[in-house]
Amino acid sequence: MTTVTRAAPTLLTSPGARLVGKRLLMAVPIVIGVSIVTFWVLNLIPGSAAQQLLGPEATPAQIQALEARLGLDRPAPVRYLAWLGGAVTGDLGTSLVSGQPVAGLLGERLAVSGELVMLAFVISLGLALPVALLAAHRPGRLFDRVSMLVSITGLSVANYVLALLLVLVFAVELALFPAIGFVPLTESVGGNLQGMALPAAAIAFPLFCFYTRFLRGDLVDQLQGEDYIVTARAKGIGPWQVLLRHAFRNSAFGLITVVGLNLGTLIGATVIIEQIFALPGIGQLMLQAINTRDFVVVQACVVLFAVVAVVANLLADLLYAVLDPRIRYGSR
Amino acid sequence: MAVAEVAPTVLRYRLRYLDVLVPATVIAVVVLACLVGPALFALPEPTGGDVLESYMPALSPGHLLGTDPNGNDTLSRLLHGGRSSLLVAVAVNLLGLVVGGTLGAVSGHVGGLTDTVIMRLLDVLIAFPSLVLTLAVAQSLGPSRTNTILALAFFSVPAFARIARAATLRLRELPFMVAGQLCGTPTPRILLRHVAPNIAPQLITFGMLGMGIVIVIEGALSFLGLGIPPPAPSWGNMISQGQQSLSATPSLVVWPCLTLFVTVLAFNLLGEALRARWSGR
Amino acid sequence: MRRRLQHVSLVLAGLLVLAGCGGGAGPAASAPAGPPQRGGEVTALEDQGFAGGWPTGLDPATSTTGGANVAQLGAIFGGLFVLRADDDGGNAKVVPNQAESAEFADDGKTLRITIRDGITFSDGTPFDAAAVAFNFTRDVGSTCTCAPRWPLAQNGITTEGARTVVLRFTRPYASVLNSFPVTNANWIVSPTALNAAGPDAFKVKPVGAGPFVVVSNQLSSSLVLERNPRYFKPGLPYLDKLTFTSIGGDQPAYQALLAGQAQTYEGLNTTPLLQQAQTNDRLTVTVQPATSPYVIQLNTKAGPFADERARQAIYYATDFDAIAKGLFKGLYPVSQSFTGPGGLFHEQTVPGYRTYDPAKAKQLVSELGGLTVNLGTLRTYVAQQVMTALQTQWQEAGITVKTDIYELSNLVQSFNSGQWQAMLQTAGAWDPASGVGVAFRFASTSPFSGVADPQLDGLLDQAAATLDAEERAALYRQAGAYISEKSYAPFGLAFAPANLAVRGVHGPGLTTKIPPIVVNAGILWDEVWRTQ
Repeated sequence: MTTVTRAAPTLLTSPGARLVGKRLLMAVPIVIGVSIVTFWVLNLIPGSAAQQLLGPEATPAQIQALEARLGLDRPAPVRYLAWLGGAVTGDLGTSLVSGQPVAGLLGERLAVSGELVMLAFVISLGLALPVALLAAHRPGRLFDRVSMLVSITGLSVANYVLALLLVLVFAVELALFPAIGFVPLTESVGGNLQGMALPAAAIAFPLFCFYTRFLRGDLVDQLQGEDYIVTARAKGIGPWQVLLRHAFRNSAFGLITVVGLNLGTLIGATVIIEQIFALPGIGQLMLQAINTRDFVVVQACVVLFAVVAVVANLLADLLYAVLDPRIRYGSR
Repeated sequence: MAVAEVAPTVLRYRLRYLDVLVPATVIAVVVLACLVGPALFALPEPTGGDVLESYMPALSPGHLLGTDPNGNDTLSRLLHGGRSSLLVAVAVNLLGLVVGGTLGAVSGHVGGLTDTVIMRLLDVLIAFPSLVLTLAVAQSLGPSRTNTILALAFFSVPAFARIARAATLRLRELPFMVAGQLCGTPTPRILLRHVAPNIAPQLITFGMLGMGIVIVIEGALSFLGLGIPPPAPSWGNMISQGQQSLSATPSLVVWPCLTLFVTVLAFNLLGEALRARWSGR
Repeated sequence: MRRRLQHVSLVLAGLLVLAGCGGGAGPAASAPAGPPQRGGEVTALEDQGFAGGWPTGLDPATSTTGGANVAQLGAIFGGLFVLRADDDGGNAKVVPNQAESAEFADDGKTLRITIRDGITFSDGTPFDAAAVAFNFTRDVGSTCTCAPRWPLAQNGITTEGARTVVLRFTRPYASVLNSFPVTNANWIVSPTALNAAGPDAFKVKPVGAGPFVVVSNQLSSSLVLERNPRYFKPGLPYLDKLTFTSIGGDQPAYQALLAGQAQTYEGLNTTPLLQQAQTNDRLTVTVQPATSPYVIQLNTKAGPFADERARQAIYYATDFDAIAKGLFKGLYPVSQSFTGPGGLFHEQTVPGYRTYDPAKAKQLVSELGGLTVNLGTLRTYVAQQVMTALQTQWQEAGITVKTDIYELSNLVQSFNSGQWQAMLQTAGAWDPASGVGVAFRFASTSPFSGVADPQLDGLLDQAAATLDAEERAALYRQAGAYISEKSYAPFGLAFAPANLAVRGVHGPGLTTKIPPIVVNAGILWDEVWRTQ
């Protein structure tokens, strides 16, 4: 009988799965916390949301009337719970300016921002891996020095400056890529990618620099200090093999965490880049809503951005757990 | 012989510090120029220029870098704007260092429920894409320098707190800490006497990188019209305004972009150099 | 809010010659580009701070920014009437379009509009008198700056037969026709489609009888239109597809045109860019006639400007000549009244106008024991530059100035609140009685006015009622003098919007001149065509 319980742990009872469950449970309060903070921030001093909507010169009577119409005269916790109840069922309220359902507005723009983030992510990581490996292969040599110089420079360029530069060079002077606009994937894949090239590059480059520096640094640390590398070398394994099979495997864990944490920055960058390239994404929607003081839309955008960042972190954690044998087998 | 032997040593000694000295010098020059430059060179005020002196090219008499559409001196705006950008960056990082550092150190040192509560709360803040939260705060409070500082502190505090906590955890097992606790030294005293000086280098190192990050994000806020409100200058709003006629008057954008880049690069290089030293890499 | 230029000014004439030499970018005078061709598509850029913002949708009756979105609304709905002009902007006239004719009766107190026979909306339902009357009734109650300000009699909107709509006014209102192209009453929606979709969905995908139909619409971002096969003019529109894209200002628009992503841009007003565009032989730059000058509206109903001395101080502290020279390189003439050289009834100067005199301004401010002013304007680059220049000038006179920047939709709310103090706006229109005209900014009945003065109301009403041009000119001259005498609002340079089109794109209002009826010229999109 005991053999049954001692059988290989099922997927659900394995330490890894338990960790997944724990992390998922932790994500829920964070998401709720995020929405509370957003709600609180958007209701900060000075004045109420109605005041913001009406402008600094509205009379108290007008503010009161609008508050009553929007249900803002209820206490904040009540309003928050009402909002949360709606949000859980996919109802994010209606825009104060256009009267359109916010969920619909977000939906039609999600594809644009999503594609932008994915592209930037793939480009930055796809380039950072080979460059960091090549640099770490022979630290201190020319390639390493050049790549480190490029990456610290790239980290110091603001993405809005970079975007302006890219437009001037590649769109206006060379006419290789469009300066603005979005072509849906369903319309033309080529046109879509062409239009996304510059905005994705503007977001990806600083990120590429960051990943490259991080990974290269970690790889060099591993190669220099860790016992297992010495052992591997002693066994006569070639330098590339050591780098790829051993050092990179370990560095990958740190990279996953960093990538997860950095996704927030990546998402934030879309706001400014969508603005510069006139891309109809969530960031553009949020900025428009900020300028028209449409706090219902702003709130939905901020929470959406934050939820995506939380989920990205969660995925990074889970990936970590799945890949790391120590966690998978419960030794930690 | 002796001279020949000494020389390379001195050189190597100097080279070893070059990675710190060069960026530190650049930063010192930028800070000094911003603080005393306008008075030293008797530059005109950064706002309130004569509109009839608009769009002057660089090297015009009395206006070394030319003027903007309202006839304000570009160099003066650059330096005064630098004051703004640096002030915001220093304030945000100091807030982060003090508040975040304290939270992180307490959290790491005390542990238990306090740790869990503080860190979960900070997790919520760190979950926000920084620019997005900052934009939301800026729009809620209205654009101004103080509000920009407050908005940016929202994400500098959790970042510093994480680093402070990690550093404090590493300290916990060290002999002098264990000794301190065994002697029954009160917690605030331990934190102040032993933890603070030991985690300070790491926090300051991160602060250097943070300076660069904040200068860039402050620029982004101003670029989007939610930072320091014009006509008061900041590097971000100078870039934002200049790019409105970029192809016709590129110099209005080039100077603030260049200054911003050099300053951020210097802070990044200094941060990296300090970190390399600290981690013994 | 912007760009007006005197088409007769020598400065500009010189520039046009230069531009002409630089590759024939000369506007208007355009040598015939050959017979129009059918087909092709155009992407039109609009400044997101003005025409490129349509946050409340494109239903003429519920949009609050319809006055700015004339291009989009014209493309979707056409118009009962349109403003046409010779290629050089001369002989401008409002002519029937979807309407067949309009007749005054009863000394100008009654207007009979007859609809063209056989027009249908793009959904196939008939464009008849009932539909038009339905629209008029919706539009008069609208909160848009473009809502018609008709002095309607009780039950003033009726129909006679299937094709005639009758408007009855409480007083003679001769200028109603000239104002039509800028009111939302000009853009007729399909009542059937509206009822079927409901107002919230309809404002995103409105249905009209114009040259184009809506394919997709992302508010304030992108509006895709395609040719309306049921359009009532045979062979028109020429284009198969027309896309409006919102863009962050003159510079990105200029770049996008050069990079080939778009073909037209309306209302360029950044002076260095205008000068650069005029020397670029890939673009046709058409500087439209100047019709409306800047105005600094002062709220005389409340706050500091209820005191006449404070208003006088603003007059004396303001030096628009310097702003015209410095910010605008002398391209635009400064006006002392509510008309521009490209519009009707223009008077360049007003006798007794209080011109720049900082000493007097300072004296008045010290008499008042100081003056603190909130000055606001729209979120467009050039308006903000002008505001900064004004702030500087006023501060030199000892006035404390706080500035606010508004989106178009919030600006409307701020005016409605009645608590504003000073606003940098434009006043005037091709016909001062229409659109964002003099009554819009100065009549006591207008929510966008800071003045409530029965005497001025009387002058303006009388001018709007009069058919005879001479008589109207005299009345407007009086009104201009009265505004100046009472120091109600200083005027500034009258600016002309420049329309940019890449070579090979042609159209009335785009590559020819039509006096801007609000801010931008009303481009007749059905006649825009592209060399294939």
